[in-house]
Amino acid sequence: MQRGTPTKWAKIRNNIWRNRYIYMMVLPILIYLALFKYMPMWFLKTSFYDYKLLKGFDGSKYVGLKWFKRLFSNPNLMRYIGNTLRLNLSAMVFLFPLPMIFAIFLNELRSVRYKKTVQTISYLPHFVSTVVMVSMITTITSPSLGIIGKIISASGGVPKNYLADPNYFVPINVISGAWQSIGWDAVIYVSALASIDQGLYEAAKIDGANRFKQVLHVTLPGLLPTFIIILIMRMGQMLNVNFEKVYLLQNNLNLPASEMLPTFSYKTGMESRNYGYATAVGLFNSVISLFLVLIANQISKRTSEISLM
Amino acid sequence: MAVKTREFNKNNLIARSRGEKIFDAFNVILMLMLIMFFMFPIFNMISISLSDEYAVLRGDITVYPIGFNGTAYQNIFTNTSLWNSAKNSIIVAGLGCALGIVALCIAAYPLAFGNFYGKKLYNILILVTMWFNGGIIPTFLTISKLGLQNSLWSLILNSLLTAYYVVIVRSYFESLPKSIVESANIDGANDFRILFQLIMPLSKPVLATVALWIIVGHWNDFLNPLLFIGVKDKFTLQLILKEMVLNAESSTYSISLGNSGDTAGAAALGQQTRNAVLVVSMVPMVILYPFLQRYFISGITLGAVKG
Repeated sequence: MQRGTPTKWAKIRNNIWRNRYIYMMVLPILIYLALFKYMPMWFLKTSFYDYKLLKGFDGSKYVGLKWFKRLFSNPNLMRYIGNTLRLNLSAMVFLFPLPMIFAIFLNELRSVRYKKTVQTISYLPHFVSTVVMVSMITTITSPSLGIIGKIISASGGVPKNYLADPNYFVPINVISGAWQSIGWDAVIYVSALASIDQGLYEAAKIDGANRFKQVLHVTLPGLLPTFIIILIMRMGQMLNVNFEKVYLLQNNLNLPASEMLPTFSYKTGMESRNYGYATAVGLFNSVISLFLVLIANQISKRTSEISLM
Repeated sequence: MAVKTREFNKNNLIARSRGEKIFDAFNVILMLMLIMFFMFPIFNMISISLSDEYAVLRGDITVYPIGFNGTAYQNIFTNTSLWNSAKNSIIVAGLGCALGIVALCIAAYPLAFGNFYGKKLYNILILVTMWFNGGIIPTFLTISKLGLQNSLWSLILNSLLTAYYVVIVRSYFESLPKSIVESANIDGANDFRILFQLIMPLSKPVLATVALWIIVGHWNDFLNPLLFIGVKDKFTLQLILKEMVLNAESSTYSISLGNSGDTAGAAALGQQTRNAVLVVSMVPMVILYPFLQRYFISGITLGAVKG
């Protein structure tokens, strides 16, 4: 021990000296992470303060659980939670399997050139910004300008302002989400399809499987690992997607269906300048989200033996 | 290659069954409908921007312009706040991309090639930011505390380093032969020189991918500018778009720049101009699209396989 210590220290010193340039790289990155990634986490304690922007924590009053108590006595809380879950989970349930189905149909096309063309067009919407997409939605759903109104009045109905009706908010969110993400999310399945062993299809053919059976017994099992990996990666982002779009699609009339915890938090903080309450709402949203991730992880562990943690 | 083999075999089948023929026809039509679904909003937007005002007001525009009229584009060329915001967006995307690539490489190099005390902790500190963040309001408070509010630097710095990109760059670095670094080390090159003169030139494919990701991310970002930028002359393009296009009816007249006397004309011009602004905002993405296709695709596959 006594003899071991100096050599050990010499070894450590030697290693640090040898890696001095490495540490010169690590250090600025750590400073950056501390300032821009960890400082926001530290600012979560704002939810226990009556935080004033110009005074900081020293000048702001510590209020304990005041904001959480206010949140839990908010008569609209259940509606916010319901909308948050509905808007995020509906998008997830519908948009999750569609790219895989699209990729399988795409793969069954006989003409390679047609396949390439469809695919190229399909991921174009991914590069359209949320603001532009919301403007498109506004035009298309408008009773006087949009195609939907046109079709409805041509078939003898009376077009409505769909964005002003809370009942249409979830479908609008899901359909526009499909428009933007199907093609892009399918890319990964298309490349997974290309890597399936072609010998399996030959073997299936010899066994007398038709194309439907080939898809069922060769294609689908081949895509399953990719499907599960993406599912798990998505779970981590639960309840954190959709903010920009939902915020931009909101108007006073659809608010009953469109106000979620994140948008409520944003308005409380940035419009009413009540940072403490806003942070508490955001934190509450993260806790629900974490809870859902844990449940989903548990289900995935039971059913597929693949898990996040 | 594998795909081609299968096509070849499929086309060589002597007879397709009747069910298969029906399915193939159905599939071709289904894909055609999907193309229409994907392209309609884009064509609709372009057509409205180029159409005659009365046709727009009647709601006649679908996927081609009616009564061709390019006034909307003339109008927006004289709109200084739009061009100023485009300039801001170009600055943010350009600087954000250049600095971001350097930062990513510096962050990833120690993980890929380093063998130093604290490497594990360093790795964890980066990965944690992939799963946890402070959220909207704490991020705003941080930027405000750092004195970056209303500065374009807030946008550049806040998204300088994304953990997911670090992971992708690192796994690419790891796929390079380790002997390069070892022999350069023996020749006396320090790690910065090895990174900038050897590793980065060898990593062009992955860096091009990530660079495009960063540019598209900045160009289309709305949330961060909304949080950090409050003064008009620092507005990015997406903020101006929101102001001009989505703050709907109230701004109709200011957008139309008052060239038209009658109310109906002004309102229609508003619609055309709004859509023209949207079209112009997408031009850089259209120019980048061929590159995006080439690198983006390889990029997500890269991320999925190794990340």
